[in-house]
Amino acid sequence: MALTLELIRHDVADALGEDPADIPLDENLLDYGLDSVRIMALLGRWRRDHGVKADFADLAEQPAIESWAPLLEAS
Amino acid sequence: MTALLTDADGAGPEHRPDAPDAPAVELPLTAAQSGMWYAQSLDPPSPAQNTAECLEIDGPLDPELFAAALRRVTAEADALRVSVVDSPDGPRQRVLPSVALPLTTHDLRDASDAVRRAEEWMRADLAEPFDLTAGPLFRHALFRVGEERWLWYQRIHHLVMDGFGYSLLVRRTAQVYTALARGEAPGPRVFGTLADLVDEDAAYRSSEAFTADRTHWTEAFADRPEVPRLAGRGALPSRTFLRRTAHLGPETTEGVRELASRLRATWPDVLIAAQALYTSRATGHREVVLGLPMMGRMGSVSLRVPGMVMNVLPLRLDVSPDATFAELVRQVVLGIREVRRHQRFRYEDIRRDLRLLGENRGLVGPLVNVMPFDYAVDFAGAPARARNLSAGPVDDLTVNIYDRADGRGLRIDHDGNPALYADGELAAHQERFLNLVERLSGADPHVPTAAHGIATAAELELVLGTFNDTERALPPTTLIGPIESRAARTPEATALVYGDTSLTYEELNTRANRLARHLRTLGARPGAVVAVSVPRSVELVVSLLAVLKAGAAYLPLDPDYPEQRLAYMLRDAAPVCAVTDRAGRLPEDTGTPLVVLDGLDVSGYLWVNPSRPLTPAHPAYVIYTSGSTGRPKGVVVSHGAIDNRLRWMQSAYGLTSDDRVLQKTPSSFDVSVWEFFWPLRQGAVLVVAEPGGHRDPAYLARLIREQGVTTCHFVPSMLQVFLVEEEAKACGGLRRVFCSGEALPRETADAFGRELPGAELHNLYGPTEAAVDVTSHACAAEAAGPVPIGRPVWNTRLYVLDAALQPCPPGIPGELYLAGRQLAEGYLNRPGLTASRFVADPFGRPEERMYRTGDLAHWTAQGEAVYLGRTDDQVKLRGQRIELGEIETALTARDGVDAACALVREDRPGEQRLVGYITGGADPVAVRASLARELPEHLVPAAVVALEAFPLSPNGKLDRRALPAPVFSGGAGSRRPSNAREEALTRLFAQVLGADRVGPDDTFFDLGGTSLLAVRLVARVREEFGAELTIGSLFESPTPATLAARLGSSGPASEDALDVVLRLRGGDGRPPLFAIHPAGGIAWCYAGLSARLGPEQPVYGIQARGLVGDEALPRTLQEEASDYVRHIRAIQEHGPYRLLGWSVGGVLAHTVAVLLQEAGEQVELLALLDAFPAEQWRERPAPEEGDALTAVLRMAGFERTHERNREDVLGTLRRAGSPLAGLSDRALSKIVDIVPNHARMMREHHHRDYEGDLLFFTAAAPRAEDWLTREAWRAHVTGSIDNHDLDCTHPQLMQDRHLDDIAAVLAARLKELDA
Repeated sequence: MALTLELIRHDVADALGEDPADIPLDENLLDYGLDSVRIMALLGRWRRDHGVKADFADLAEQPAIESWAPLLEAS
Repeated sequence: MTALLTDADGAGPEHRPDAPDAPAVELPLTAAQSGMWYAQSLDPPSPAQNTAECLEIDGPLDPELFAAALRRVTAEADALRVSVVDSPDGPRQRVLPSVALPLTTHDLRDASDAVRRAEEWMRADLAEPFDLTAGPLFRHALFRVGEERWLWYQRIHHLVMDGFGYSLLVRRTAQVYTALARGEAPGPRVFGTLADLVDEDAAYRSSEAFTADRTHWTEAFADRPEVPRLAGRGALPSRTFLRRTAHLGPETTEGVRELASRLRATWPDVLIAAQALYTSRATGHREVVLGLPMMGRMGSVSLRVPGMVMNVLPLRLDVSPDATFAELVRQVVLGIREVRRHQRFRYEDIRRDLRLLGENRGLVGPLVNVMPFDYAVDFAGAPARARNLSAGPVDDLTVNIYDRADGRGLRIDHDGNPALYADGELAAHQERFLNLVERLSGADPHVPTAAHGIATAAELELVLGTFNDTERALPPTTLIGPIESRAARTPEATALVYGDTSLTYEELNTRANRLARHLRTLGARPGAVVAVSVPRSVELVVSLLAVLKAGAAYLPLDPDYPEQRLAYMLRDAAPVCAVTDRAGRLPEDTGTPLVVLDGLDVSGYLWVNPSRPLTPAHPAYVIYTSGSTGRPKGVVVSHGAIDNRLRWMQSAYGLTSDDRVLQKTPSSFDVSVWEFFWPLRQGAVLVVAEPGGHRDPAYLARLIREQGVTTCHFVPSMLQVFLVEEEAKACGGLRRVFCSGEALPRETADAFGRELPGAELHNLYGPTEAAVDVTSHACAAEAAGPVPIGRPVWNTRLYVLDAALQPCPPGIPGELYLAGRQLAEGYLNRPGLTASRFVADPFGRPEERMYRTGDLAHWTAQGEAVYLGRTDDQVKLRGQRIELGEIETALTARDGVDAACALVREDRPGEQRLVGYITGGADPVAVRASLARELPEHLVPAAVVALEAFPLSPNGKLDRRALPAPVFSGGAGSRRPSNAREEALTRLFAQVLGADRVGPDDTFFDLGGTSLLAVRLVARVREEFGAELTIGSLFESPTPATLAARLGSSGPASEDALDVVLRLRGGDGRPPLFAIHPAGGIAWCYAGLSARLGPEQPVYGIQARGLVGDEALPRTLQEEASDYVRHIRAIQEHGPYRLLGWSVGGVLAHTVAVLLQEAGEQVELLALLDAFPAEQWRERPAPEEGDALTAVLRMAGFERTHERNREDVLGTLRRAGSPLAGLSDRALSKIVDIVPNHARMMREHHHRDYEGDLLFFTAAAPRAEDWLTREAWRAHVTGSIDNHDLDCTHPQLMQDRHLDDIAAVLAARLKELDA
């Protein structure tokens, strides 16, 4: 199953312990408490469930949902 | 590995697909790299900066392609091609365009132990340091350990690579290999350049963010917190580290992840919180500072640059046992979030900004290094698994946690600095940590963390059960019952000795019974209290027994205590009556009826044991101890408690009727309880020391020797003083010595073993609140390290508990709690205080209590407790318990004192002194004096220092370390010493006190003198003046002037100490003894002998002419002796005469005797002390002036070293404060003349015959002048020679031990003559 923007937002919010509505699509997630461990956890989940090919540096370089969408081949 | 090793590569330049033919690029080091560079520079050959990992690859692998992949990655990763050179501008890194690939391949397929051999190789390689200037700073090895199983090893210097960098290298290598294996192009270089890192670093360091981060860290750690460490101390980094590897199983890992997600945290947050909890409990610190290695790459170009970027940052946490684990995790989450905002600021910079570098202090305790790096790789389908082999230097302890995203759970490595941790300790820390994580992951996170201890189940069983297996069924007896039984069984045996008095058991029992019956008429009965204020004596023992026999509890009141203190205790305890030896001893206005023993006739009372309804539950005694709020508190101890203690002691040490036990501890100190009653229960003899005698080591040594004492107690600091006492060695009859009251230093225990090899030394521990002692340890000769306080006694349990009252495993410090039969009932009339110190025992039976000691301790693995210090302000000074709060309260209560604090300082090693500090206008001397009127001696500060204000630490607390040392200096504006003796004493005072200057009227105790220093002073005075002086006389005459006067009255007179006739002891009861001076001309050396001959025997010293006046020295011995005859006859006109002389003095005494006989007088005693007739010397060379100087120095007790001439000698004597130096320069110069004059006259003298016998004392130790023989006197004596050999050298004859023997023989002879 392919990822969607909303799924990404949902998983990120889950990792941060926030409400998805509070997670913006275009802002730096580091400011919201995203860290390497959480990125790794998300990456592991997305690799397993969605066959994602991106690596850690790809996500950590531009930590925003909009930037991630193409890397994660999300629709 | 020889035959199997094929070197596939490693030499010569290779074809490098991407390597451009460019010159080397030179760059500065980043701040992160600089830290590594400096660390390596400190110890260039150290391999500590090596990092390494090993990948296990399962599947087919082409070694050639693998090497090609490595070559490509090396070409792409700048950091690998770096070497570091030191330049005038600091270290710089040179990035070479290409380097040869340092790869070795090893085919171990045929080896049965392939993996082990590969690992051995790796271990050896890891111990090799890199040469930073030469490079390359990395190395690869590929091991084929099976058909389709490979180990890829890489080692890289930490200066160029960190953990995340490794993951980039591995991912790219796998990617390139996979492409090559599939015959595809590997794709373009993916790494950023090293120059990118350097630029980013430089940009940060000149940014505003850098300044803001610096401010953040400086403020966050402004108070420079003490960092709790699991080893209890820090150490320099070692070259290697210890490692214990463990895995958190998939189930627990899942539990941790679930718990984390429930707490809206990550699994590392949970593990960090667990480590914080562990560290807090294991160190006993509520606040912990963990080190967090941070990868430092988020949102940075470094995400794509393999290199060294990581940083370590401090995470400060408050771990309260009352907070829940969920709250602790939350604190971690928020704390890390805060840290992350300032994570680019370097660890090294924080330490420098906080000035921790210079003090070599750490910023963080244990590190928790979480490495969640992306290792989901395969090599053309062959999966790989990474294993870290070294994560870099380990300062203290690092917990490495790896999540390789490979579904295998978490691997946890505990790395320890071997300078701080033994392998077993590291293993124990790891096992407990994993155990704690497991328990936390399965527990409700919303209960306080107090519910979790750090001990494992096996450790709990050990410390609660095995170590405390002390239960023993005992009969329900009392303290007094067994003494009465003993008296009935052995009525005729000696029970007590005091001076010349000795009492049998029957006599003692009878006296106590009569007094007991009298006390009963005044209300003494079970449950009542009777005070006893009697100095150490037979009457004291009788009184204590009488109180117990009446069924009451005794309350000892030290007669030396100030009146106010005594009045307080009488009012507080409200005894039914108080027994004293004489009227006026106790305050009379407290309403307590007094029983004055002086003049009391109890002979009308029945002599048999009184009956009484006494049970073990009744109180046996009440002893007051220092109270922190300023009020002393009475500890009530029951018969059952002390009976248990004494029964255990008897079983442990087996006292018999052959034993003699010394009673020297004041009755107000609970050690005295066993001293008084243990021997009387066992039929042994109680030897009672004189009042004040407990302070005087020389007296004690003599008493122990003379009375054949087998058993005694010392506070360790007093034992130390006792052991240096010359006579201690002679106390060979001692079988066992007990220490308690303060920590027993190992050095003291060792000294004991040397001085008294035939005796056992037992270290005991216990507070008054638990019937004297609750643990014991027998000191062994070969042991090292702190002396343990030992194992619990019968029916006693020890608990070492952490802040949450959870048991500490062995080796972990905690507060010591006591439980069992010996606990006191509590504090008299203080239910609140009792409830706060005696609390419910959670590990015992219902209703059982435990006592909170306030002492810190840990268990050894063998089940012994080791004392570590106090948790509060209570201190022990020479075995006495002191609550600083009590002293502070007393200080604050003075007029003009605004605030006060007290502490024990040790400004000179081994010299602990209690010092009080005050602010406000009060005069510190007056404050101290008024304290001395209210508090017992041990609670009065040695000095009170007035301050403008108290020094404060940055967080506003009193900074005790900044309090100034008191300056003990008197004499300001005081008069000059009025005579030689005063001058000598002021010097000795100053020397012993460590004071700059002391005036003749300054009081020893006002200048910081303590009772231990008093012992030292008295020893010096005895040594220098040859005067008999007791510690008691210093208490009575505490200034140089008064002491000089006292010495003058008992020893050589002060003013005319250099006259020809020196009256050592006057009187006219018996014919006097004339003692003639040795070679130096001074007769002070006979003072000790005079003291030993008793007050009835007058003794006169005869000294050389010319010490004071300007008289010429005699030309012959005959002339000198004639002169002395005149002086002697002026004192005693006619015989019979008694003469004595040591050394040259003996030759003179013989000559005087001959002259007296020739004048028709009778000489009834001629005693020569190691003196030999003139002709024995005649042919021997006479000493030069130089030898005379040696002789002068020897008179003062020094061996000659650097002193060239008489000025040097005088200087030495003056510096040493010798009484000889107190003489005028002229007198000293005179002595330097007198010595060679005597040598000359001796050689020229011819003896005439003496009619009579000779009493002779020989210093029988081998001597250089082996030609000397007393037989030579036969030619000059008509009678016999009665010789007594003494095991000593010529100079030692006048020392205490030998003087005892000489005096005994002399006294017997004088007695015969008198009869």
